[in-house]
Amino acid sequence: MNIYPWIGLAVAVLTLWKCQVFTKVILPAAVGLVVICLWQLACDHFLSDTNPTPGQTLAAIFEIDDNGRLWSDAAASLFRVTWGFFLAALVGIPLGLWVGWTTRGFQALNPIIQALRPISPIAWIPFAILWFGIGDGAGIFLIFYASFFPITVGTMAAVRNISMVHQRSALNFGLTGFELFRRVVLPAALPQIITSMRIALGVAWLVIVAAEMVGMDSGLGYLINDARNMGRRYDLVAATMVIIGAIGIVLDLLIRKFEDFDEVRWGYVKR
Amino acid sequence: MSPSDKTVESEYENVNEMVQPKVVFRNVSKTFKKKNEDLCVLQDVDLDVAPGEFVCLLGPSGCGKSTLLNIAGGFEQTDTGSITIDGQEITEPSDRRVFVFQEYGIFPWASVWDNVCLGLRKLPKEEQKRVAQETIDLVGLKGFEKAYPMELSGGMKQRVEVARALAVKPDVIFMDEPFGALDSLTRLTMRSELIRIWKQEKPTILFVTHDVDESIQLADRVVVLTERPGRIARVVDVDLPHPRDLASPEYARIKGELYELLGVRDWG
Ligand SMILES: Nc1ncnc2c1ncn2[C@@H]1O[C@H](COP(=O)(O)OP(=O)(O)OP(=O)(O)O)[C@@H](O)[C@H]1O
Ligand SMILES: [Mg+2]
Repeated sequence: MNIYPWIGLAVAVLTLWKCQVFTKVILPAAVGLVVICLWQLACDHFLSDTNPTPGQTLAAIFEIDDNGRLWSDAAASLFRVTWGFFLAALVGIPLGLWVGWTTRGFQALNPIIQALRPISPIAWIPFAILWFGIGDGAGIFLIFYASFFPITVGTMAAVRNISMVHQRSALNFGLTGFELFRRVVLPAALPQIITSMRIALGVAWLVIVAAEMVGMDSGLGYLINDARNMGRRYDLVAATMVIIGAIGIVLDLLIRKFEDFDEVRWGYVKR
Repeated sequence: MSPSDKTVESEYENVNEMVQPKVVFRNVSKTFKKKNEDLCVLQDVDLDVAPGEFVCLLGPSGCGKSTLLNIAGGFEQTDTGSITIDGQEITEPSDRRVFVFQEYGIFPWASVWDNVCLGLRKLPKEEQKRVAQETIDLVGLKGFEKAYPMELSGGMKQRVEVARALAVKPDVIFMDEPFGALDSLTRLTMRSELIRIWKQEKPTILFVTHDVDESIQLADRVVVLTERPGRIARVVDVDLPHPRDLASPEYARIKGELYELLGVRDWG
């Protein structure tokens, strides 16, 4: 057997190994492909026919798209997440800044925040429905609750972590009041605030699906339930799951755009 | 506290008889209260610093140098004694006396320009621009105004911090091992740059270091502190003109004296 083609291949792999296209595109895509193959294999040899294959799932995605439910249900979920998340940021960031900066505010509010935080948003579903009925109101409330704590606690921690030298620099140059806030407190905390928003959005996207499965009559979570109840269409369930994952990735990519600003980039540099 | 500690006073009473001292340390003592024991960090530090003088505080690690400087900067309080500047007792920080920190104190979220402008907020726009540009040029950072600290080398970051301090034209500058994190070559350049700037602007500088060479290269006087609790062991005059000849016998003699005071015998 001729050895030279193999050496050539080895050299090619080694050169590729460090190349951007390889590390960022080819390598992850290859792993994805392997996972899909394993899925197909499992369907062929181990699982019952009720389990959808990758091909059937893909077909189901087109079916959901065709009957218009992809857009209407995704839009319903996104609507709730957007408003709930936006309101949580609107309240949570200022509150976190204030509680983090003032000793009295911290003493007063930190205990109640820590006490409410471990209660799963899912546990609030009965009350959400009791107060807002089945529909967007309850969803927005649950998403607000789910994202409020990561944002508030993250912002609080960010402010309390402002380094001693920076606080002293501010003192040294006589910064007080609003100027202190604008020039030091807010910019120092911003990278971690963005990180906490990223975490909150991830949690929100997890919670909305669960909330819609239990207590709502539209949205991607509802679509899953619907597909299962109406004739056990597990291909539609899997298709919806794929869509949920895809939208989650897009949301995360969108919020990560904030990390590119000059004012916050310092916060993400590896140390 | 033994009475023999007081004998060191004669070492520095001949200095500055004519001029009003700028910074006066009187019987400064400091003890940190810990859970089960008290940690006495500074004991009866007495020192007069003349206007425009460059004084180095030299001492082993943990002897209380930073603590002493922090008190002088108004960030911490003494237990007994006082520190006055122009006769005014220091109770809080002020931009008349500016700190250059051991770790980088400039703001990583602001550009070089905005960092230098920190202390110039109250000036009119035009004036602010002029002073900021002047100071940036002075420390040799022309062309980097828009850069962010993370895009700069360690030496450049410390230049920004020095510029930020100089911009407000302070009477006193406190520097706490400002070049400690730099490589030895950059450190040498930064020292001569600092001397150049100091000669031009003539602020009073209190410079903390544990590097014997650094103190001889920079200071008019080197204040040697003992192991914790820090007391003044001796104040050593450095009567060498700048730029200093590091190979001169006088340099070697002072170096020997300082090492002996620090308790290091076989230093080379
Ligand atoms: N806030 C504090 N609370 C308790 N102990 C402290 C505090 N700050 C400093 N110390 C202690 O005081 C002593 C002197 O600290 P200081 O930072 O002044 O030393 P230093 O001479 O600057 O040392 P180095 O050269 O390593 O910077 C140390 O033993 C330190 O542990
Ligand atoms: Mg120190």
